[in-house]
Amino acid sequence: MPRRNIVVWFAALVVAVNGFFPAVWILLTSFKTETELIQSPITYWPHAPTLANYDAAFTAQPILRFMLNSLVVASLSTALCVLVGALAAYALTRLRLAHRNLIMSLLLAVAMFPLISLMVPLFKLMRELGLLNTYLALILPYAVLSLPVCTLVMASFFQDIPADLEAAAMVDGCSRVGALFRVVMPLAAPGVFTAAILAFVNAWDEFLLALTMMNRVNMRTLSVGITLYQGEFAFPWPLISAALIIAIVPICILIAVFQERVVGGLTQGGVKG
Amino acid sequence: MTSGKDLSERALGALLLAPAAALLLVIVVYPIATLFWNSLHAVDNANPAAGETFVAFANYARAFDDERFWRSTWNTVLYVVVTVPGALVVGLALALLANLPFRIKWPVRLGLLLPWALPLVFAGLIFRWFFEYRTGVVNDWLGRLGVEPLQWLSSPTLAFIAISIAIVWKASSFMALILLAGLQTIPRSLYEAAEVDGATRWQQFWEITLPMLAPSIFVALIFRTITAVQTFDIPFAMTGGGPGDSTETLAMYIYKTTLDFLDFGYGSALAALMFLLSLIATSAYLRHTNRA
Repeated sequence: MPRRNIVVWFAALVVAVNGFFPAVWILLTSFKTETELIQSPITYWPHAPTLANYDAAFTAQPILRFMLNSLVVASLSTALCVLVGALAAYALTRLRLAHRNLIMSLLLAVAMFPLISLMVPLFKLMRELGLLNTYLALILPYAVLSLPVCTLVMASFFQDIPADLEAAAMVDGCSRVGALFRVVMPLAAPGVFTAAILAFVNAWDEFLLALTMMNRVNMRTLSVGITLYQGEFAFPWPLISAALIIAIVPICILIAVFQERVVGGLTQGGVKG
Repeated sequence: MTSGKDLSERALGALLLAPAAALLLVIVVYPIATLFWNSLHAVDNANPAAGETFVAFANYARAFDDERFWRSTWNTVLYVVVTVPGALVVGLALALLANLPFRIKWPVRLGLLLPWALPLVFAGLIFRWFFEYRTGVVNDWLGRLGVEPLQWLSSPTLAFIAISIAIVWKASSFMALILLAGLQTIPRSLYEAAEVDGATRWQQFWEITLPMLAPSIFVALIFRTITAVQTFDIPFAMTGGGPGDSTETLAMYIYKTTLDFLDFGYGSALAALMFLLSLIATSAYLRHTNRA
């Protein structure tokens, strides 16, 4: 058995190191000074750890404002996407629809359309509607971009809920939509949760539209805001590292708290979807 | 079942699908329609005051003579050809490792989730720094192995390699999560039976794991191919398309054409051509599903 144990340990080490090394490296760098950074050969462990980079990260750019913008945009677009997607997924799985397969294929086709192709028309549309530099300019597109995959994930979970339960709720006086929210959604909670996480991470990570729709510094989201730390020619790596660490804290907390449900939900949804 | 109930069921279906349809119309269908319309227009240089005028397919004809369009398309194809199989191999290896029975599960779970949750542009920035000439950690490792430091980001070929490594690292974790899902559905009894028959681990991998995993691999490949065609964030953060425009992707060229040069008509035509590229790339898979 010991040989097998070593293999398992080694496997865990490889996966963890592969996942963590960039984050660990920027964490170490965020405590270094500029002078230590340009030393040759390079140092791994900071010689004279300092928090000055974090101080500078908070003052050089409104990073907390970026974070707030990202949180608002990602949460509201996720809520919209899950709500609209749940209604559509319910219709596609629990009702007898005439063109069910056609609707499913159309949803997939939307997922295939390159975001960059939508960027210019969306920019013009938002400009005409006067929505540039507002949260709505990102909330609406983000909700729609995650809509196909979220609908399909939720549909695969809705399918497994026995029709009897829903019928029983309706006998007890629930309306059909009431049954969706009181019976189907709670039972399909892992699927709804997976869809929500996918939509949230997609929105949190998105860069291109965020760069296009928001040109006022105060409306920038984190993914774009971080790039503002770089100088014209020089890259102040310790400062950027500190800003990156601040920026990934929320998403790290999210995946650390929900890790089991995220992996479980993705694996369940992936099998069916 | 009465026809009256059928009708109400259909009406309810339409009602429930209406919000999704409305959003898709405004955010996807209308922009696609204007995209094609815009691609048929351009500003006439002889008479700029007239604004954008109808030029039929002149923008598309212009793309065919545009060397930069072909180079950025070629680069995009190269990224697809290199990073799709690359991410599959690395993702499969990670999934196989992560599928072993661990007592403490969180380091492995977070090891797969962190790269997935990290924004692409952050990954690009971090890897840009790994590949820095003087202060980068990659050249430091090469130095320890006795290799001369390399100018990773200022040579077209090396920059392409560095960007591909970053993309594979970032993309392989989501691949691994999808493949892990597939691995967990393979019944243990298959391996036990194979063991009784005296099959080696290697034979078990080729005869059981891979065939059983095929549907998951298929889903993962489609996802990766669609995103690879749209490659933007990582090269944007690592090289900005440079040196020169040697690592520029089609998405980056479209971005520069429309937002830096404000050439909306030509940018729209390029975007329409890009949609064609992603259709070609994925139609190979779709043909496979129809056959299966």
